[in-house]
Amino acid sequence: MNKPVQKNDLEQRFEVLWPLARRVVKDTAGAPRVPDLNGKTICELWDVIFRGETIYPLVREHIRAKFPGARFVEYSEFGNFYGPHGDKISQALPAKLRAHGCDAAIVGIGA
Amino acid sequence: MLRAAALVEKLGVPTVSIIGSGFLKQAELVAKGLGLPLAFGVYPGAPMVDSEEELKRKVEASLAPGLLRGLTEGETRAAPGPAEPEAGSIVFTGTLDEIEEHFYRQLWTDGLPIIPPTRERVDAFLRFTDRGPDEAIRVLPQESREATIRSIAVNGVMAGCRPEYMPVLIAVVEAMSDPNFHIEHAGSTPGWEPLVIVNGPLIKALEFNYGQGVMRVGRQANTSIGRFVRLYLRNICGYRIPPGAGDKGSIGYTFNVALAEDEDTAREIGWPTYAMDQGFDAGENVVTVRSVVCITPPTYSAGARAVDHVQQFADVMGATFTYWSHTGMKRGYWHPLIVVGPSIARVIAREWSKGDVRRYLYENVKVTAARATHYARMTSTPTFSLERLVAEGVLPPEYAALSDPERLVRVFIHAEMTGILVAGDPGRNQSRGYMGNHDQGPPVSRRVELPKRWNELLARARR
Repeated sequence: MNKPVQKNDLEQRFEVLWPLARRVVKDTAGAPRVPDLNGKTICELWDVIFRGETIYPLVREHIRAKFPGARFVEYSEFGNFYGPHGDKISQALPAKLRAHGCDAAIVGIGA
Repeated sequence: MLRAAALVEKLGVPTVSIIGSGFLKQAELVAKGLGLPLAFGVYPGAPMVDSEEELKRKVEASLAPGLLRGLTEGETRAAPGPAEPEAGSIVFTGTLDEIEEHFYRQLWTDGLPIIPPTRERVDAFLRFTDRGPDEAIRVLPQESREATIRSIAVNGVMAGCRPEYMPVLIAVVEAMSDPNFHIEHAGSTPGWEPLVIVNGPLIKALEFNYGQGVMRVGRQANTSIGRFVRLYLRNICGYRIPPGAGDKGSIGYTFNVALAEDEDTAREIGWPTYAMDQGFDAGENVVTVRSVVCITPPTYSAGARAVDHVQQFADVMGATFTYWSHTGMKRGYWHPLIVVGPSIARVIAREWSKGDVRRYLYENVKVTAARATHYARMTSTPTFSLERLVAEGVLPPEYAALSDPERLVRVFIHAEMTGILVAGDPGRNQSRGYMGNHDQGPPVSRRVELPKRWNELLARARR
């Protein structure tokens, strides 16, 4: 395995194996978009970092200006999915989203 | 964060995620790993350094319109990725220089030359395990690749390991694959790095350094196993700095060499080894992997009393740990490690157990509530509140027992969270502290499983 390098070893050719491994994920389609948000419920999910307390209200205002009939369920309703209770909060998420009649969601913040 | 978005999308609810522009490439890579065409609204730059006016302008001009587009329009089918080679297949043929260049350009190295992973060399590693090459330990984030036995062997060859390290490498990957280790956060901005700790007879059998210069490169077992970890995170998880995308360590630091314990000294002074503290029996071969986000200064201490030394730990290591402890407070947990020099351990052990050391640090290292809050607000969390963390059951009630912002609160949230290990120069009086990144990369241990013919294989390898 560790034989000394000979003068012509630098010209020796080697076949080498792929250092990665099989990617195992089934590509799936995303949920259909909602062209008209009027009358729809938008849920906010926040990991409680990067100034979401300022950003989310501004985003709400912007969306309401375009779709006055959009409803929002604010992030405080769902809890911090990235915090110490994140697993529990994520597990409870489907039922909570259904209970709120969620039509779309804004998730943040990665920055 | 994108895992939450994926969870919601799979319920049939369209999502759009808020992403800082510097995180977009990583977000795209994570979305691909999740197999979903996630939509993003992009915040230009870093929100933590923008004025209120600038933040408002960026949200209105860029982020909010992007979020709106993401919810109302766009492609919902994932674009298929490029075809990839079969696992275990030959991907390149060339001279040593050509292989180095090809692997470097493909982002398959760490920037240093690698040992070419020929089939012969990989097979030599595979002989040191009874497990099949295609056995997958887990599918790992971020790229959703299988952590197979073969992938461990290939990257072990590349890192410059010896074939007989293979059982240790497998245990390392098993530990990092444990969901509790949270390998999905190994590319986060603090730039934490896994640290491998080795206990048991393998320390001597594989010639690990546990004495002077223990955390320096130079001894093959310590160095190449440490290098292997970083290569594996790059190649199987996809944590690559630019021109790659998955590793967002803002500054980061290089890999840790593997740390082996001075078990002879531990035994002589009557302290349990680190692995015994992790619940294993004396004499078992054990690997523990834990995150390290920062290292203290070399901590010198003098005196013939235990308190002389542990007080110094509290002063020097406590000062280093205090700043970042707010991240642990947000999660109710973090994990420091103290590597105690053998001469110091001998003095302390004459009077104190490891539990006494932990208790002293717990009771004596403190920070004002105002300072911890300030540090959290500087980092990422303007809404940080110890009172709320207590109300949510994350921190013990004592953190909010008083309302005075100048009150002192504990840096070490629980006494038992401190790891203690004996290693380093027996001829000097130095120790050192290693801080983990809150609940990311907590200590996870695995027993090292040796192949049935271990003794014969090792003897042949060492001839």
